[in-house]
Amino acid sequence: MNTLEFCQRLADILDIVEVKPENVLGEFEQWDSLAVLSVLAMVDSKYRVTIRANEIRSVVTVGDLAKLVEAKLGEAKQKQ
Amino acid sequence: MKTIFKNKKISSIVSVVPKEEYRFDDEYPGFKLTPDKAKRFKKMMSLDRHRIAPPEVCSSDLCLFGLQHLLNEGALKREEIGALVFVSQTPDYFMPATSNVIHGKLGLGHDVICLDINQGCAGFLLGLMQAFLLLEIAAIRKVVLLNGDTCSKQMDKCNRVSYPLTGDAGSVTVIERCEAENPIYTAVKNDGSRHKAIMIPAGAFRTPSTPETLKLHEVEEGVVQNLEHIHMDGAAIFSFTMEDVPPQIDEILSFSGDTRESVEHFLFHQPNPFILRQMAEKMKIPQEKLPNNIVSLFGNCSSVTIPLNIAFNCREQLVKGSSRVCLSGFGVGLTWISMVLDLGPLEVCKIVEL
Repeated sequence: MNTLEFCQRLADILDIVEVKPENVLGEFEQWDSLAVLSVLAMVDSKYRVTIRANEIRSVVTVGDLAKLVEAKLGEAKQKQ
Repeated sequence: MKTIFKNKKISSIVSVVPKEEYRFDDEYPGFKLTPDKAKRFKKMMSLDRHRIAPPEVCSSDLCLFGLQHLLNEGALKREEIGALVFVSQTPDYFMPATSNVIHGKLGLGHDVICLDINQGCAGFLLGLMQAFLLLEIAAIRKVVLLNGDTCSKQMDKCNRVSYPLTGDAGSVTVIERCEAENPIYTAVKNDGSRHKAIMIPAGAFRTPSTPETLKLHEVEEGVVQNLEHIHMDGAAIFSFTMEDVPPQIDEILSFSGDTRESVEHFLFHQPNPFILRQMAEKMKIPQEKLPNNIVSLFGNCSSVTIPLNIAFNCREQLVKGSSRVCLSGFGVGLTWISMVLDLGPLEVCKIVEL
Protein backbone atom coordinates (compact mmCIF):
# COMPACT_ATOMS: atom_id res chain seq x y z
CA MET A 1 0.00 0.00 0.00
CA ASN A 2 1.23 3.45 -0.93
CA THR A 3 1.37 5.38 2.37
CA LEU A 4 1.76 8.73 0.63
CA GLU A 5 -1.40 8.12 -1.39
CA PHE A 6 -3.24 7.01 1.75
CA CYS A 7 -2.19 10.18 3.57
CA GLN A 8 -3.36 12.29 0.63
CA ARG A 9 -6.77 10.57 0.61
CA LEU A 10 -7.09 11.22 4.33
CA ALA A 11 -6.09 14.87 3.80
CA ASP A 12 -8.87 15.18 1.19
CA ILE A 13 -11.43 13.84 3.65
CA LEU A 14 -10.26 16.24 6.37
CA ASP A 15 -10.16 19.10 3.86
CA ILE A 16 -6.55 20.05 4.75
CA VAL A 17 -3.39 20.35 2.68
CA GLU A 18 -1.21 17.63 4.18
CA VAL A 19 -1.40 14.74 6.60
CA LYS A 20 1.63 12.96 8.06
CA PRO A 21 1.89 9.46 9.58
CA GLU A 22 2.86 10.89 12.96
CA ASN A 23 -0.22 13.15 13.21
CA VAL A 24 -2.67 12.16 15.96
CA LEU A 25 -6.13 11.70 14.42
CA GLY A 26 -8.00 13.06 17.43
CA GLU A 27 -6.08 16.32 17.17
CA PHE A 28 -7.47 17.25 13.76
CA GLU A 29 -10.24 19.82 14.10
CA GLN A 30 -12.30 17.96 11.52
CA TRP A 31 -11.93 14.52 13.14
CA ASP A 32 -15.57 13.88 14.09
CA SER A 33 -18.13 11.12 13.57
CA LEU A 34 -18.61 12.26 9.97
CA ALA A 35 -14.89 12.05 9.24
CA VAL A 36 -14.90 8.51 10.65
CA LEU A 37 -17.73 7.54 8.26
CA SER A 38 -15.88 9.08 5.32
CA VAL A 39 -12.76 7.11 6.22
CA LEU A 40 -14.71 3.84 6.48
CA ALA A 41 -16.27 4.57 3.09
CA MET A 42 -12.91 5.49 1.49
CA VAL A 43 -11.20 2.38 2.80
CA ASP A 44 -14.06 0.19 1.56
CA SER A 45 -14.17 1.85 -1.83
CA LYS A 46 -10.44 2.36 -2.58
CA TYR A 47 -8.89 -0.61 -0.76
CA ARG A 48 -11.87 -2.99 -0.70
CA VAL A 49 -11.39 -3.85 2.97
CA THR A 50 -13.74 -3.33 5.92
CA ILE A 51 -12.73 -1.61 9.12
CA ARG A 52 -14.97 -2.16 12.12
CA ALA A 53 -16.25 0.56 14.44
CA ASN A 54 -14.17 -0.64 17.41
CA GLU A 55 -11.01 -0.94 15.27
CA ILE A 56 -11.14 2.64 14.07
CA ARG A 57 -11.73 3.86 17.60
CA SER A 58 -8.54 2.10 18.78
CA VAL A 59 -6.10 3.76 16.34
CA VAL A 60 -4.25 6.89 17.48
CA THR A 61 -2.12 8.22 14.63
CA VAL A 62 -2.46 8.40 10.87
CA GLY A 63 0.34 5.85 10.70
CA ASP A 64 -1.64 3.46 12.94
CA LEU A 65 -4.60 3.76 10.59
CA ALA A 66 -2.43 3.10 7.55
CA LYS A 67 -0.97 0.02 9.26
CA LEU A 68 -4.48 -1.21 10.06
CA VAL A 69 -5.49 -0.96 6.40
CA GLU A 70 -2.27 -2.66 5.35
CA ALA A 71 -2.91 -5.51 7.77
CA LYS A 72 -6.42 -5.94 6.36
CA LEU A 73 -5.04 -6.01 2.83
CA GLY A 74 -2.60 -8.70 3.91
CA GLU A 75 -5.41 -10.78 5.42
CA ALA A 76 -7.45 -10.43 2.25
CA LYS A 77 -4.52 -11.61 0.12
CA GLN A 78 -4.02 -14.67 2.32
CA LYS A 79 -7.65 -15.67 1.87
CA GLN A 80 -7.29 -15.68 -1.91
CA MET B 1 -34.50 -17.36 6.38
CA LYS B 2 -36.23 -17.36 3.00
CA THR B 3 -39.81 -17.84 1.91
CA ILE B 4 -42.22 -17.12 -0.93
CA PHE B 5 -45.63 -15.56 -0.32
CA LYS B 6 -48.22 -16.38 -2.95
CA ASN B 7 -51.59 -15.02 -4.09
CA LYS B 8 -51.14 -11.74 -2.25
CA LYS B 9 -50.88 -8.25 -3.65
CA ILE B 10 -50.38 -4.66 -2.57
CA SER B 11 -53.29 -2.69 -4.00
CA SER B 12 -52.76 0.87 -2.69
CA ILE B 13 -50.12 2.99 -1.02
CA VAL B 14 -50.69 6.45 0.45
CA SER B 15 -47.82 8.25 2.16
CA VAL B 16 -48.52 11.16 4.49
CA VAL B 17 -46.07 13.91 5.36
CA PRO B 18 -46.53 16.92 7.63
CA LYS B 19 -46.95 20.13 5.70
CA GLU B 20 -44.31 21.77 7.94
CA GLU B 21 -41.08 21.78 5.93
CA TYR B 22 -37.75 23.09 7.21
CA ARG B 23 -34.60 23.74 5.22
CA PHE B 24 -31.08 22.90 6.36
CA ASP B 25 -29.84 26.33 5.28
CA ASP B 26 -32.23 27.94 7.79
CA GLU B 27 -31.66 25.46 10.59
CA TYR B 28 -27.89 24.95 10.74
CA PRO B 29 -27.07 27.92 12.98
CA GLY B 30 -28.98 26.07 15.70
CA PHE B 31 -26.65 23.07 15.37
CA LYS B 32 -23.45 24.81 16.53
CA LEU B 33 -21.99 24.34 13.05
CA THR B 34 -19.63 26.86 11.53
CA PRO B 35 -20.65 27.83 7.97
CA ASP B 36 -17.72 25.74 6.68
CA LYS B 37 -18.63 22.62 8.65
CA ALA B 38 -22.28 23.10 7.71
CA LYS B 39 -21.33 23.29 4.04
CA ARG B 40 -19.23 20.10 4.32
CA PHE B 41 -21.98 18.23 6.17
CA LYS B 42 -24.66 19.44 3.76
CA LYS B 43 -22.60 18.28 0.78
CA MET B 44 -21.64 14.91 2.26
CA MET B 45 -25.20 14.01 3.23
CA SER B 46 -26.93 15.87 0.36
CA LEU B 47 -29.10 17.67 2.89
CA ASP B 48 -31.77 20.04 1.75
CA ARG B 49 -35.02 19.89 3.71
CA HIS B 50 -37.15 17.70 5.93
CA ARG B 51 -40.70 17.47 7.25
CA ILE B 52 -41.24 17.74 10.98
CA ALA B 53 -44.62 17.18 12.65
CA PRO B 54 -45.78 19.78 15.16
CA PRO B 55 -45.82 18.66 18.84
CA GLU B 56 -49.50 17.71 18.87
CA VAL B 57 -49.28 15.45 15.78
CA CYS B 58 -48.50 11.77 16.46
CA SER B 59 -47.58 8.96 14.05
CA SER B 60 -51.16 7.68 14.34
CA ASP B 61 -52.53 11.05 13.19
CA LEU B 62 -50.47 10.89 10.02
CA CYS B 63 -51.60 7.30 9.37
CA LEU B 64 -55.25 8.03 10.16
CA PHE B 65 -55.23 10.97 7.74
CA GLY B 66 -53.96 8.69 4.98
CA LEU B 67 -56.54 6.04 5.81
CA GLN B 68 -59.39 8.55 5.78
CA HIS B 69 -58.14 9.77 2.43
CA LEU B 70 -58.42 6.25 0.99
CA LEU B 71 -61.91 5.83 2.46
CA ASN B 72 -63.03 9.19 1.07
CA GLU B 73 -61.65 8.34 -2.37
CA GLY B 74 -63.70 5.13 -2.35
CA ALA B 75 -60.57 3.02 -2.80
CA LEU B 76 -61.30 1.22 0.46
CA LYS B 77 -64.49 0.51 2.41
CA ARG B 78 -64.67 0.24 6.18
CA GLU B 79 -66.33 -3.18 6.05
CA GLU B 80 -63.45 -4.57 3.95
CA ILE B 81 -60.88 -3.96 6.70
CA GLY B 82 -60.22 -7.26 8.47
CA ALA B 83 -57.01 -6.28 10.19
CA LEU B 84 -55.13 -3.14 11.20
CA VAL B 85 -51.37 -3.54 11.58
CA PHE B 86 -49.62 -0.47 13.03
CA VAL B 87 -45.83 -0.45 12.78
CA SER B 88 -44.08 2.24 14.77
CA GLN B 89 -41.47 3.03 17.37
CA THR B 90 -43.37 6.19 18.37
CA PRO B 91 -46.76 4.86 19.49
CA ASP B 92 -49.43 7.08 21.03
CA TYR B 93 -49.34 5.17 24.34
CA PHE B 94 -47.59 2.24 26.01
CA MET B 95 -51.10 0.90 26.51
CA PRO B 96 -53.37 0.25 24.67
CA ALA B 97 -51.91 -0.60 21.25
CA THR B 98 -52.23 2.33 18.85
CA SER B 99 -53.99 0.10 16.30
CA ASN B 100 -56.78 -0.25 18.88
CA VAL B 101 -56.98 3.53 19.23
CA ILE B 102 -57.16 3.91 15.43
CA HIS B 103 -59.82 1.18 15.29
CA GLY B 104 -61.92 3.21 17.73
CA LYS B 105 -61.45 6.49 15.83
CA LEU B 106 -62.58 4.81 12.61
CA GLY B 107 -65.61 3.22 14.19
CA LEU B 108 -64.84 -0.18 12.70
CA GLY B 109 -66.82 -3.32 13.50
CA HIS B 110 -65.70 -5.76 16.18
CA ASP B 111 -64.56 -8.50 13.82
CA VAL B 112 -61.19 -6.88 13.21
CA ILE B 113 -57.70 -7.89 14.32
CA CYS B 114 -55.61 -5.05 15.77
CA LEU B 115 -51.87 -5.51 16.03
CA ASP B 116 -48.97 -3.17 16.82
CA ILE B 117 -45.44 -4.03 15.73
CA ASN B 118 -42.41 -2.33 17.26
CA GLN B 119 -40.02 -1.97 14.33
CA GLY B 120 -38.29 0.79 12.43
CA CYS B 121 -36.16 0.60 9.31
CA ALA B 122 -37.26 -2.93 8.32
CA GLY B 123 -40.78 -2.17 9.54
CA PHE B 124 -42.52 -1.81 6.18
CA LEU B 125 -41.34 -5.23 5.07
CA LEU B 126 -42.02 -6.85 8.44
CA GLY B 127 -45.49 -5.29 8.31
CA LEU B 128 -46.05 -6.69 4.81
CA MET B 129 -45.01 -10.14 6.01
CA GLN B 130 -47.51 -9.89 8.87
CA ALA B 131 -50.22 -8.76 6.44
CA PHE B 132 -49.54 -11.70 4.11
CA LEU B 133 -49.79 -14.11 7.03
CA LEU B 134 -53.04 -12.55 8.28
CA LEU B 135 -54.56 -12.97 4.82
CA GLU B 136 -54.46 -16.73 5.41
CA ILE B 137 -57.55 -16.06 7.53
CA ALA B 138 -60.45 -16.35 5.07
CA ALA B 139 -62.59 -13.92 7.04
CA ILE B 140 -60.02 -11.14 6.45
CA ARG B 141 -60.68 -9.50 3.09
CA LYS B 142 -58.10 -6.74 3.30
CA VAL B 143 -55.31 -5.83 5.68
CA VAL B 144 -54.46 -2.20 6.26
CA LEU B 145 -50.79 -1.76 7.10
CA LEU B 146 -50.03 1.52 8.82
CA ASN B 147 -46.43 2.62 9.18
CA GLY B 148 -45.72 5.80 11.10
CA ASP B 149 -42.94 7.45 13.03
CA THR B 150 -42.23 10.86 14.53
CA CYS B 151 -38.57 10.23 15.36
CA SER B 152 -37.94 13.98 15.51
CA LYS B 153 -39.50 13.80 18.97
CA GLN B 154 -36.85 11.25 20.05
CA MET B 155 -33.91 13.61 19.72
CA ASP B 156 -32.78 17.08 20.67
CA LYS B 157 -33.45 19.73 18.00
CA CYS B 158 -29.84 20.85 18.37
CA ASN B 159 -28.33 17.44 17.69
CA ARG B 160 -26.44 18.15 14.49
CA VAL B 161 -25.89 14.54 13.42
CA SER B 162 -29.44 13.28 13.99
CA TYR B 163 -31.94 16.08 13.62
CA PRO B 164 -31.15 17.36 10.11
CA LEU B 165 -31.41 13.84 8.69
CA THR B 166 -34.68 12.95 10.38
CA GLY B 167 -38.19 13.32 9.09
CA ASP B 168 -41.69 12.46 10.31
CA ALA B 169 -44.17 10.60 8.12
CA GLY B 170 -46.88 7.96 7.94
CA SER B 171 -48.13 5.56 5.31
CA VAL B 172 -51.13 3.39 4.61
CA THR B 173 -50.81 0.25 2.49
CA VAL B 174 -53.73 -1.94 1.51
CA ILE B 175 -52.92 -5.61 1.02
CA GLU B 176 -55.29 -8.31 -0.22
CA ARG B 177 -55.44 -11.75 -1.80
CA CYS B 178 -55.33 -12.17 -5.57
CA GLU B 179 -56.06 -14.93 -8.07
CA ALA B 180 -52.65 -14.72 -9.72
CA GLU B 181 -49.83 -16.51 -7.95
CA ASN B 182 -47.72 -13.31 -7.89
CA PRO B 183 -44.84 -14.82 -5.87
CA ILE B 184 -43.22 -12.47 -3.37
CA TYR B 185 -39.70 -13.71 -2.58
CA THR B 186 -38.64 -12.77 0.93
CA ALA B 187 -35.43 -13.04 2.96
CA VAL B 188 -35.22 -12.15 6.66
CA LYS B 189 -32.34 -11.91 9.08
CA ASN B 190 -31.93 -10.72 12.65
CA ASP B 191 -28.94 -10.10 14.90
CA GLY B 192 -29.93 -9.04 18.39
CA SER B 193 -26.33 -9.21 19.61
CA ARG B 194 -25.85 -5.83 17.91
CA HIS B 195 -29.05 -4.29 19.26
CA LYS B 196 -27.18 -1.46 20.97
CA ALA B 197 -26.19 0.04 17.60
CA ILE B 198 -29.55 1.85 17.36
CA MET B 199 -31.19 2.31 20.70
CA ILE B 200 -33.09 4.50 23.14
CA PRO B 201 -31.38 3.41 26.37
CA ALA B 202 -33.90 4.69 28.96
CA GLY B 203 -37.55 5.56 29.41
CA ALA B 204 -39.13 2.12 29.27
CA PHE B 205 -38.80 -0.55 31.95
CA ARG B 206 -35.17 -1.71 31.82
CA THR B 207 -33.99 1.80 32.77
CA PRO B 208 -37.06 3.81 33.79
CA SER B 209 -37.38 7.53 33.24
CA THR B 210 -35.89 9.74 35.97
CA PRO B 211 -34.65 13.34 36.09
CA GLU B 212 -31.15 11.84 35.46
CA THR B 213 -32.19 10.12 32.23
CA LEU B 214 -33.52 13.43 30.93
CA LYS B 215 -30.26 15.34 31.49
CA LEU B 216 -28.63 16.46 28.24
CA HIS B 217 -24.99 15.50 27.55
CA GLU B 218 -22.77 16.79 24.76
CA VAL B 219 -21.08 13.62 23.48
CA GLU B 220 -19.09 15.52 20.88
CA GLU B 221 -19.33 19.12 19.66
CA GLY B 222 -22.92 19.87 18.66
CA VAL B 223 -24.11 16.35 19.47
CA VAL B 224 -26.47 16.79 22.40
CA GLN B 225 -28.57 13.94 23.72
CA ASN B 226 -30.11 12.42 26.83
CA LEU B 227 -30.73 8.76 27.64
CA GLU B 228 -34.30 8.91 26.32
CA HIS B 229 -33.10 9.98 22.88
CA ILE B 230 -32.08 7.77 19.96
CA HIS B 231 -28.43 6.74 20.22
CA MET B 232 -26.80 5.61 16.97
CA ASP B 233 -23.37 4.05 16.58
CA GLY B 234 -22.75 5.49 13.11
CA ALA B 235 -19.65 3.44 12.41
CA ALA B 236 -21.29 0.16 13.49
CA ILE B 237 -24.35 0.89 11.35
CA PHE B 238 -22.19 1.79 8.37
CA SER B 239 -20.28 -1.49 8.69
CA PHE B 240 -23.58 -3.38 9.01
CA THR B 241 -25.11 -1.85 5.89
CA MET B 242 -21.96 -2.44 3.85
CA GLU B 243 -21.27 -5.99 5.07
CA ASP B 244 -24.61 -7.65 5.82
CA VAL B 245 -27.10 -6.13 3.42
CA PRO B 246 -25.31 -6.79 0.07
CA PRO B 247 -25.14 -10.56 0.68
CA GLN B 248 -28.87 -10.59 1.37
CA ILE B 249 -29.52 -8.78 -1.91
CA ASP B 250 -27.43 -11.40 -3.71
CA GLU B 251 -29.35 -14.10 -1.87
CA ILE B 252 -32.79 -12.74 -2.76
CA LEU B 253 -31.91 -12.16 -6.44
CA SER B 254 -30.58 -15.69 -6.71
CA PHE B 255 -33.68 -17.03 -4.93
CA SER B 256 -36.12 -15.24 -7.24
CA GLY B 257 -34.06 -15.96 -10.35
CA ASP B 258 -33.49 -12.26 -10.97
CA THR B 259 -30.43 -10.21 -11.87
CA ARG B 260 -29.44 -6.57 -11.49
CA GLU B 261 -30.79 -6.17 -15.03
CA SER B 262 -34.17 -7.87 -14.56
CA VAL B 263 -35.01 -5.81 -11.48
CA GLU B 264 -36.16 -2.39 -12.57
CA HIS B 265 -36.03 -0.53 -9.27
CA PHE B 266 -34.15 -1.16 -6.03
CA LEU B 267 -36.35 0.64 -3.52
CA PHE B 268 -34.41 0.64 -0.30
CA HIS B 269 -34.88 2.09 3.16
CA GLN B 270 -33.30 5.56 3.17
CA PRO B 271 -30.89 6.17 6.05
CA ASN B 272 -29.04 8.87 4.08
CA PRO B 273 -27.83 9.35 0.48
CA PHE B 274 -24.19 8.83 1.43
CA ILE B 275 -24.68 5.22 2.62
CA LEU B 276 -27.03 4.42 -0.29
CA ARG B 277 -24.51 5.61 -2.90
CA GLN B 278 -21.80 3.51 -1.23
CA MET B 279 -24.10 0.48 -1.16
CA ALA B 280 -25.11 0.83 -4.81
CA GLU B 281 -21.45 1.10 -5.82
CA LYS B 282 -20.48 -1.91 -3.74
CA MET B 283 -23.35 -4.02 -5.06
CA LYS B 284 -22.68 -2.87 -8.65
CA ILE B 285 -26.23 -1.57 -8.99
CA PRO B 286 -26.50 1.46 -11.30
CA GLN B 287 -27.14 4.57 -9.16
CA GLU B 288 -30.24 5.48 -11.19
CA LYS B 289 -31.86 2.16 -10.23
CA LEU B 290 -31.38 2.78 -6.51
CA PRO B 291 -33.09 6.08 -5.59
CA ASN B 292 -31.44 7.91 -2.70
CA ASN B 293 -33.42 11.16 -2.71
CA ILE B 294 -35.92 10.70 0.11
CA VAL B 295 -33.72 12.00 2.96
CA SER B 296 -32.84 15.16 1.02
CA LEU B 297 -36.52 16.00 0.52
CA PHE B 298 -38.30 14.55 3.52
CA GLY B 299 -35.75 13.18 5.99
CA ASN B 300 -35.21 9.64 7.23
CA CYS B 301 -38.68 8.66 8.43
CA SER B 302 -37.92 5.16 9.70
CA SER B 303 -40.18 2.44 8.23
CA VAL B 304 -42.02 4.98 6.07
CA THR B 305 -39.01 5.65 3.84
CA ILE B 306 -39.84 2.66 1.63
CA PRO B 307 -43.51 3.48 0.91
CA LEU B 308 -42.50 7.15 0.51
CA ASN B 309 -39.71 6.08 -1.86
CA ILE B 310 -42.25 4.06 -3.89
CA ALA B 311 -44.86 6.84 -3.95
CA PHE B 312 -42.37 9.59 -4.79
CA ASN B 313 -40.16 7.85 -7.33
CA CYS B 314 -42.43 5.31 -9.03
CA ARG B 315 -45.94 6.69 -8.82
CA GLU B 316 -46.60 7.26 -12.51
CA GLN B 317 -45.35 3.87 -13.54
CA LEU B 318 -47.15 1.93 -10.81
CA VAL B 319 -50.60 3.40 -11.33
CA LYS B 320 -50.47 2.36 -14.99
CA GLY B 321 -48.74 -1.00 -14.81
CA SER B 322 -46.42 -3.18 -12.83
CA SER B 323 -42.69 -3.17 -12.18
CA ARG B 324 -40.19 -5.78 -10.97
CA VAL B 325 -38.81 -4.31 -7.77
CA CYS B 326 -36.43 -5.25 -4.99
CA LEU B 327 -37.35 -3.78 -1.61
CA SER B 328 -34.93 -3.78 1.31
CA GLY B 329 -35.26 -2.49 4.87
CA PHE B 330 -32.32 -2.65 7.27
CA GLY B 331 -31.49 -1.14 10.63
CA VAL B 332 -32.77 -1.20 14.19
CA GLY B 333 -32.73 -4.69 15.72
CA LEU B 334 -30.48 -5.26 13.93
CA THR B 335 -32.97 -6.56 11.39
CA TRP B 336 -32.68 -6.79 7.63
CA ILE B 337 -35.42 -7.93 5.26
CA SER B 338 -35.48 -7.94 1.47
CA MET B 339 -38.16 -8.81 -1.08
CA VAL B 340 -38.39 -9.21 -4.82
CA LEU B 341 -41.84 -8.90 -6.36
CA ASP B 342 -43.91 -7.51 -9.20
CA LEU B 343 -45.43 -4.35 -7.74
CA GLY B 344 -48.47 -2.71 -9.29
CA PRO B 345 -50.67 -1.70 -10.90
CA LEU B 346 -51.78 0.20 -7.81
CA GLU B 347 -55.27 1.62 -7.46
CA VAL B 348 -53.92 4.54 -5.45
CA CYS B 349 -50.28 5.60 -5.12
CA LYS B 350 -49.72 9.09 -3.78
CA ILE B 351 -48.31 11.42 -1.18
CA VAL B 352 -50.62 13.67 0.82
CA GLU B 353 -49.87 16.41 3.35
CA LEU B 354 -51.33 16.84 6.80
